[in-house]
Amino acid sequence: MKILLLGMNHRSAPIELRERLAVGEPGPALAKLVACDEIAEAVLLSTCNRIEVVAVTREPESARQRLRTFFRRDLAGELAGPGGPLQDEHLYEHVDADAMRHVMRVAASLDSMVLGEPQILGQAKEAWAAALECGACGPILGRLFQHAFGAAKRVRNETRLAERPISMARVGVDLAKQIFETFEDKQALLIGAGEMVEIALRSLRGEGLAAIRVANRTPERASQLAVRYGASAHGLDELPALLSGADVVLTSIGGDGPVLTREAVSAALRGRPHRPLLVIDLGVPRNAEPAIDELDNVYRYDVDDLGAAASENAGLRQAERARAEAIVAEEQQRFDGWFAALRAVPTIQHLRARMESLRAREVERALSRGQFSAVQREAVESLSRSLVNKVLHAPVSRLRREAGREEAMAYLEAARELFALDEPEDGPPPEEQDSGE
Amino acid sequence: MAIPLLQTAAALYLVAGLAAGLGLALPSRRALRGAPYLLLAGVVLHSVSVVALHRDGTAPPLTDLPVAVSVMAWFGASFSLLLLSRARLAALAVLVGPLAFLSTFYAALRLPEASPVAAAATGAWPHAHVMLASSGLGLLGVAGLAGVLFLAEHRRLKGRRPLAPRVPLPTLEALDRVNAASLALGFPLLTLGVLTGMMWLRTERGSAFTGSAHELWCLVAWAVYAVLALARFLGGQGSRQAAASAVGGFALLLFAAIGLRLVP
Repeated sequence: MKILLLGMNHRSAPIELRERLAVGEPGPALAKLVACDEIAEAVLLSTCNRIEVVAVTREPESARQRLRTFFRRDLAGELAGPGGPLQDEHLYEHVDADAMRHVMRVAASLDSMVLGEPQILGQAKEAWAAALECGACGPILGRLFQHAFGAAKRVRNETRLAERPISMARVGVDLAKQIFETFEDKQALLIGAGEMVEIALRSLRGEGLAAIRVANRTPERASQLAVRYGASAHGLDELPALLSGADVVLTSIGGDGPVLTREAVSAALRGRPHRPLLVIDLGVPRNAEPAIDELDNVYRYDVDDLGAAASENAGLRQAERARAEAIVAEEQQRFDGWFAALRAVPTIQHLRARMESLRAREVERALSRGQFSAVQREAVESLSRSLVNKVLHAPVSRLRREAGREEAMAYLEAARELFALDEPEDGPPPEEQDSGE
Repeated sequence: MAIPLLQTAAALYLVAGLAAGLGLALPSRRALRGAPYLLLAGVVLHSVSVVALHRDGTAPPLTDLPVAVSVMAWFGASFSLLLLSRARLAALAVLVGPLAFLSTFYAALRLPEASPVAAAATGAWPHAHVMLASSGLGLLGVAGLAGVLFLAEHRRLKGRRPLAPRVPLPTLEALDRVNAASLALGFPLLTLGVLTGMMWLRTERGSAFTGSAHELWCLVAWAVYAVLALARFLGGQGSRQAAASAVGGFALLLFAAIGLRLVP
């Protein structure tokens, strides 16, 4: 059994390509993946910075090919689109220990564009929940993700990595402070109602803005958020009016086309030549047309730009990185131990089954030779079970303990050989063999 | 006494500019916080030197170029100090300090060569002209310097190279407000300076316009500023264009009011 991870992130692929491959609803894609014989379990993580599939397989080579085909055909499509064709160098691959470590580093935000940003943990939890819901996540990935969430929690509690909580939204707020002298007379417009928007609302709430408005396709969802943060809720149909009053627009909403077009922003800016507009586009695919950069008073930043803006804080967090990496390594070793022990499970199960069968057969033969009361029969059964358990205790414990080590395979082979596990069970009875000797 | 004071004031302006520059470059903001105080010390010494210069009544007239340049620097530095106290603008001292230094240092170098004339002998119009025109020039100079910073900041932000939050550069909004306030105050002062200059000419030579290059270029510069003020306050001109206009306008005004007179 192998754990295989294939994916792309902000370092390996440009934003245009990531936008094209982003998966809004992972359920159908996962169902398709686990329907293949070579993939036993799978979790798909799709955020603005990464698209990754982690899978459990008994046939690593076939699974690798299957996942590559999934990225090439199912996600990228046969034809080249924005960002160019999907190349081999856009994808990275990790196996077993590396894959485990990668999943944990991602959840602990050690692989994020903004080191220590908090929302990746929520996104990883959503990906895991989605895989559970569609039945793609089994016991191995379930356990891996539990360890990953544990590692993330420890990193958060035991290091200062998140002491200066920098999220994309928070970086955007800091950026606004380089444009606006005061927020007292400013209005913020947040488009979307997802986690990014909620984090932005949390960041903006303490800045003393004159008004915060939340606009979403589903106004009810916007309303739920708005009520919690003292903002007002609106539908997307009100966008033109909302835009003309906004000073900061933060957008993170799904959908095919851009929500902020050049024309819409240009129209909103008419009559306000000295009020700059900061557009923070956290959507993937991007929600704001890059053409709005041509407008004089508009400053647009997308997820890639904000990553650069966060470099200073990331630098400060680098000092804490080593401690966080050590925690991840610890958690990875714990999971790896459990995962390696899984390799011994089939042999142990086989051994127990063989011994149980032998015990049952011998007890039956012994008891058939005379008349025994129920109490006597029960005593013989109990004695035989106890003997088998005691005989097996030492080898089974040793097999479990050694399963995580390099020499595990030698132990497993020795066990199979010594107990003749690979030979058919219905051979000559051990009693006859012994007498022969 | 007046000249050493003026030289010290010039040095303080320069140090204020350097301190602001260091404050932007170094992690500690102490130097940046000190820049406005150094500028204030420069303005105070500058004021004392002007008083000392005119105490005996035989100082060069205000119409003398070094004196006019010194007055312009004093107005510019004083106005900047007012702005610095109101917004996160300490970094403006990076440009104001060196420009005030150059002007004051030039005045301190050239003043000993100027021939002292009793101030009363020159009349009221020349004094009014120099005071109003120099104050207008000083304020429009601040608008121009704010424009330079605005354009640099605009370029940086448009290029999506945001600085880390700890670098305390002025915000675009503050720079735009400095631009607007400087133009709103500086242009009327410049207008009054031009009018009093014409009155001075009419009193002295019988005509408000004698056709000299200085008069001609000053009128052109004034007309340009009139268009800029209209565009900014009534025409809906954007912040970036306003900043670029302030830079260009100040360069033209500097050439008309001072540059032409430096050319032999």
